[in-house]
Amino acid sequence: MLQYVFIEHPFFAVTSLLYLASTLAYGLAWVSPSRLPGRAGTALMVAGVALNTAVIVGRWIEAGRAPFKSLFESLVFFAFCIALLYVVFERLYKTRLFGVAAGLMTFGSMAYALTKWDAEIVKLPPALQSGWFVPHVMVYFIGYAAVAIATGVAVVQLLSSRIPFVHRLTTMKAGSVLSGEPLDLDRISYDAVRFGFVLLTIGLLVGSVWAKSAWGDFWVWDPKENWSLVTWLIYGAYLHLRKVRGWRGDRAAWVAIIGFAVVMFTYLGISMLPTAEESAHVYTGT
Amino acid sequence: MVNTSHSSSGPAPEASASTGAREAQLTTWLVFGAMTAGAILQIWIPPGPTTLVAATGIASLVVLGLSFVVPGRLRSTLSGFRFTSSLLIALAIFAILGTLILQGKPAELYRAKYPAVAGLILALRFDDIFHGLPYAGLMALFGAAILASASLRLPISARRAGFFIAHVGLLVSGAGAAASSMLSVRGRIDLFAGGDVAHQVRVTRNGLPTGAFETLPFQLKLDQFDLVNYEAEYRIGYYEKARIVRDGVVMDDYKLKTSFDPVKVDVFNPKADQLPDLSRHRLPGGDSFRLKAVYPDFEVVTRTAPAAEGAPALLVTLAGRSQWLQPGETVVTPDGGLAVAFAEQRPAPAAGATTSVLVSSADRRVVVWRADGEASQPLAEKLPLLGGAVRIEQLLPHSTRGAFYQTRSDTWRNPAVVIETSVNGVLSDTLATAAQPRGVFLRDGRSALVFEKRDKEVKAFLSHVTAGQGPSMVRAIISVNEPFDYGGWTLYQVNYNPEDPTYSGLEAVRDPGVLWVFVGFALICVGVFYMLYVEPRLRGGGIDRQAPAAPAAS
Repeated sequence: MLQYVFIEHPFFAVTSLLYLASTLAYGLAWVSPSRLPGRAGTALMVAGVALNTAVIVGRWIEAGRAPFKSLFESLVFFAFCIALLYVVFERLYKTRLFGVAAGLMTFGSMAYALTKWDAEIVKLPPALQSGWFVPHVMVYFIGYAAVAIATGVAVVQLLSSRIPFVHRLTTMKAGSVLSGEPLDLDRISYDAVRFGFVLLTIGLLVGSVWAKSAWGDFWVWDPKENWSLVTWLIYGAYLHLRKVRGWRGDRAAWVAIIGFAVVMFTYLGISMLPTAEESAHVYTGT
Repeated sequence: MVNTSHSSSGPAPEASASTGAREAQLTTWLVFGAMTAGAILQIWIPPGPTTLVAATGIASLVVLGLSFVVPGRLRSTLSGFRFTSSLLIALAIFAILGTLILQGKPAELYRAKYPAVAGLILALRFDDIFHGLPYAGLMALFGAAILASASLRLPISARRAGFFIAHVGLLVSGAGAAASSMLSVRGRIDLFAGGDVAHQVRVTRNGLPTGAFETLPFQLKLDQFDLVNYEAEYRIGYYEKARIVRDGVVMDDYKLKTSFDPVKVDVFNPKADQLPDLSRHRLPGGDSFRLKAVYPDFEVVTRTAPAAEGAPALLVTLAGRSQWLQPGETVVTPDGGLAVAFAEQRPAPAAGATTSVLVSSADRRVVVWRADGEASQPLAEKLPLLGGAVRIEQLLPHSTRGAFYQTRSDTWRNPAVVIETSVNGVLSDTLATAAQPRGVFLRDGRSALVFEKRDKEVKAFLSHVTAGQGPSMVRAIISVNEPFDYGGWTLYQVNYNPEDPTYSGLEAVRDPGVLWVFVGFALICVGVFYMLYVEPRLRGGGIDRQAPAAPAAS
């Protein structure tokens, strides 16, 4: 299989390797006093984003449609969204601390795509031939990527209070932290959730408008719709709970992690539900 | 969705903790109370859209009214973040339950599918969970919470506008959804091209006919129905055997993993001349293949060639058509009157032919035979006979004859390919035609290559309709994602019959609430963005610094 992917789909293979290499470099930056591994991690991640873009654009041209139809295609796009958003976060918060988490998620998404290999280009059925298709999927996946990063931060936040090594990382001045300032992990996680929540809101409502134009009903209690609503409600609860005493810090981190678990089930687990047979949202290639 | 705000100079920690505990207790009572009351009342009131809307509206106003008159912390609890969070989680649990339990199915199905809990599901009416009273109870609390928190945040200011916009959006979309649920009518219209004019809609609920009909305020006629397929394409499909479940039965079947184009496609210039892709391709299973030849318009021809040994062969032209004959073969003109027979020794005249040219290779002679006599002469190359009607072209003393593949034209009319597979280094060739697709099996049948034509995928189905009343008629094309609004109804393309190209199934919907739902959606989007990004800036910086963690306002 690997031989096939390397020969027939070299861009996909190299993108995956770049994400893996970036993860390793970011990991090295945790323990190295030199800035070089961290910089290499960023460079590799940016290169991964560039090549991932090429993979998506190439498939878009080849398929003559947006490459979001099959699970395989969506995983490749998910990896792209996480990587792109992570690079922006890295610049924004001046830290490479979460590079490992982002790298693991991007590489994990590509590796999972490999196990769900579906290079076959599927034609779009009439229902998906809509102007809403691309914005709906893009907004959702960027939203998913944002909450994925929030979860990565939340994990570091939880580990930081339990493992001295991680705690040192969050406060160290050299290596992975660009600014030399201690990080407010709770704030960074909240920022990512807040950004993701806005996109999840738009994605949910855009999906509703699309459903109305395609089927005449803006809400049909489809399992995917329901679980999208569940993710929205969970993150809505997260944002409200932050205003309740005692619900920041570790508790908020746990809610963010639970929220992401729900997101992942919404994304990948719908086919396991007894009601999935009636869903219009189950991916091809699952 | 920020509710009441708090100042950093709030109550003392002990008082806050105590207040928080009381609030948590009241929240628990309210949420569980609403669900329990709903579950009990549901014994007498069956679930349904009307039940949901009426119960939500009435209970919402009752709870809100009580919050203003009942002494204690009811109003502040309703407007608190803790209460809203709990409510959102409870609603999420209901939404999850609705995906774990099939909705709107007959009671027998639940008994068969969930034998252990079917009684509970049916008793609690979880078979229609989103129209039941427990859910209505939660929605009522949600509505009351929005109104209660809004009442504590008046007057509206720029710093708090996001809250109002988002929550007004929730109320407006909720009211629109309630109007949709109560007042909308949907149903099916089955039309046939050139057939009867439709005057009414067959009303449905949850996709099933109710038996009722709704009269349309206009006539609807299907002029034409187009079923458009994607352009046909030829692919080398790679299939792998996989264990699948079909109709509850586990079985092995071949699943398409990937496919290859038999021609090189320039994605940037798809109209360029297409050349066969003869390069070797690696397959996911570890084997490889290449196309040795691609024939767009395949045919098999036989060819004769000189050889060191083998039977002789004669090239003869009869009635303007040249062909090779081997010993024992005869060629006859279409009318059967003239024949050429070839053998090593002198052949017999062809039955039924009035004239036969008999060619023998051993003695290299040609005999022109007629019923009334014959003439013989030595065999020579390019020998014209019977005034040019027959011409002996060439005699090969030894020859081979074989079948050869070729293409009649460059048009993809009857394509075929020769696939060379390599399994564990062993090469083998197979001719594969798209007209009769068969698997080239690899690795004991665990995977297969199939040269196949794909032309069955539906790209679009379109109804050309005329709608109107009297002289004012309107023509429109309805397709999926392109509905047609007319006379207060919206018509959606939802069905077709591949066996009957004249049939079109339309969904007709009259929904007075949908506009308000979408207005609400827009307000929610704007409000959420404003609340999370504009308000913090208006407050002068940090997102959370102005609203430190605290219990709900007192």
